[in-house]
Amino acid sequence: MTIYAQPRFLPGGDRYMLIEFGNEMNLELNFMAQGLAGAIRENKVGGVIETAPCFASMLVHYEPDDISFADLQTEMQRLIGSLGPSDDIELPSRLFYFPTVYCDPWTKAAIDDYTAKINPEKEYDPDFVARLNGLSGAEQLVRVHSGTEYWVASLGFWPGLPFMMALDPRCVITAPKYNPPRTWTPQGTVGMGGASTAIYPVATPGGYQIFARIPVPIWDPKQRFDVFADSICLFRPGDRVKFVPVSVAEFEEIERQVADGSYTYNVVEYQKFSVAQYKHWVSRLDRTKRF
Amino acid sequence: MIEVIKPGLETSVQDWPGRIGFWNQGFPPSGPMDSWSFRLANVLVGNAPGAAGLECQYLGPTLRFDADAVIAVTGADMAPKLDGVAVPLWESVAVRAGQTLALGPAKLGTRAYIAFSGGIASEPWLGSRSTFHQAGVGGIGGSALKAGHQIPLGAGTGVAGRRVKPEARPPIHGDKRWDVEVCAGPNDDWIDAAGQERFLSADWKLSGKSNRTGFRLEGPEWTFAEKAYNKGPEHGSLPSNIIDHGYPLGAINLAGQTPIILVSDGPSMGGFINPYTVPQAAFWKLGQSRPGDIYHFRLVSVERAQAMAREMKALCTEASII
Repeated sequence: MTIYAQPRFLPGGDRYMLIEFGNEMNLELNFMAQGLAGAIRENKVGGVIETAPCFASMLVHYEPDDISFADLQTEMQRLIGSLGPSDDIELPSRLFYFPTVYCDPWTKAAIDDYTAKINPEKEYDPDFVARLNGLSGAEQLVRVHSGTEYWVASLGFWPGLPFMMALDPRCVITAPKYNPPRTWTPQGTVGMGGASTAIYPVATPGGYQIFARIPVPIWDPKQRFDVFADSICLFRPGDRVKFVPVSVAEFEEIERQVADGSYTYNVVEYQKFSVAQYKHWVSRLDRTKRF
Repeated sequence: MIEVIKPGLETSVQDWPGRIGFWNQGFPPSGPMDSWSFRLANVLVGNAPGAAGLECQYLGPTLRFDADAVIAVTGADMAPKLDGVAVPLWESVAVRAGQTLALGPAKLGTRAYIAFSGGIASEPWLGSRSTFHQAGVGGIGGSALKAGHQIPLGAGTGVAGRRVKPEARPPIHGDKRWDVEVCAGPNDDWIDAAGQERFLSADWKLSGKSNRTGFRLEGPEWTFAEKAYNKGPEHGSLPSNIIDHGYPLGAINLAGQTPIILVSDGPSMGGFINPYTVPQAAFWKLGQSRPGDIYHFRLVSVERAQAMAREMKALCTEASII
């Protein structure tokens, strides 16, 4: 596993370039992808229509009538070379607290449906993920998964869906993805694939292992709540998320508040995320310990 | 204004190139599956090639006009009739107030396009009128057309009796086999040599579990290169799993062993490899095929795929009209 000395520039048909910075998941690579996306915006690179940074890579959508693949590669190399060290990065970072039911009845129903119709061998997701990560069971999975803040590295797959990474290395767990994918997943489901945690904004197909659900919308085309004033998607890259375990009864109470518009989003907005301080904190942790 | 009498099977408002610039929030561009036919329909009625029109899938709608209009129907042959009289395809046609346009099931091809002089003037959403009905946004009320919907039209300058030269039309055919161009990458190096050879030589059947999000294919098993097995756990455990990354539109996305071509309403990111990508200029073939049809993929260079898009763009102009 490496961070590549030179990024890889891969073609995707006639109008996309995928830039891979490495083949592991760490924040450093995501900072690089976010940094390059910012540099492209600031430099207004001709022929670039849009970018989509992700964990360790960035997709560039370009207009070949305005810039060739080769010239785009040269320009991207130049911009990557001009990026400063990530330690200098300090950015405003909102923290969202979400009431969360772990091992909830709704994701269980989706798993049961998948087991009945598609793959009878499928082990119940929380047990499966706990076993693969050497945890004692679903109870410890809840403790570990809810024991860290998550970093919103990217949005995609579905409008507003956050791809997130655990910030505390003691809480990093990994999980394989479904094969074949599920045909449906309840809205608000929390799941994992690889080392990524995601929240499903609406009911969609999906490939992540699923084991929790939140009652709070993370996208809202009607913009009913003021947190959606700027965008119908709740998150921006660089936000953080904390899952707070609650009971089914509490979930249903919050669901009622969301329905009648009285729910208040629990957001902390006074903090900045310092990459240097984060790295300093991580360097002193005993990574072999779990919660 | 046009009133929807019968909606047909998933008829939707689309424009081209659609909702561009929101891929990094997960919004697909949407837009017509066969933009060749779509653009020519607009050119026929005097619109910009990308103006909003209707995409009709498998079974077309029945529409009543409350004002005079000039329209054109292109793409699949759904035997359009105006007050019961057959309307020619690939030709601009005058419609009088009170007349009813009815399209039936597709006899040849799969998706028909109706352009209206002046274009559909529904409310744009994120800079586009294209419908992304799975998320309930764009188009008319965020959905495919429903009976009773009113479709507002802009003011147009179209004239009747203009036709598209036969050689400028997409060669839609009924032999159920399609040669579809693909470019290698971005993740072709995850497939072993035998797997790459097999992909390009095999027959791939379009599955019934396909829609404007993705076209699922049925065919032989995939085999993988060493790097698909020898990788960190954060990629996921399947050979086709990769650290979540951005998906090109048109990517042939390998979900386990199931290849899915990501089309107009497709996902922007995910954790599966994309060994090949269908370029923009070959999308019309996807749009005009139907479940059960066979695809055979033909490798072209990125430069060739770009040239094909330019050639198609040149065809979707006034130069193709007689």
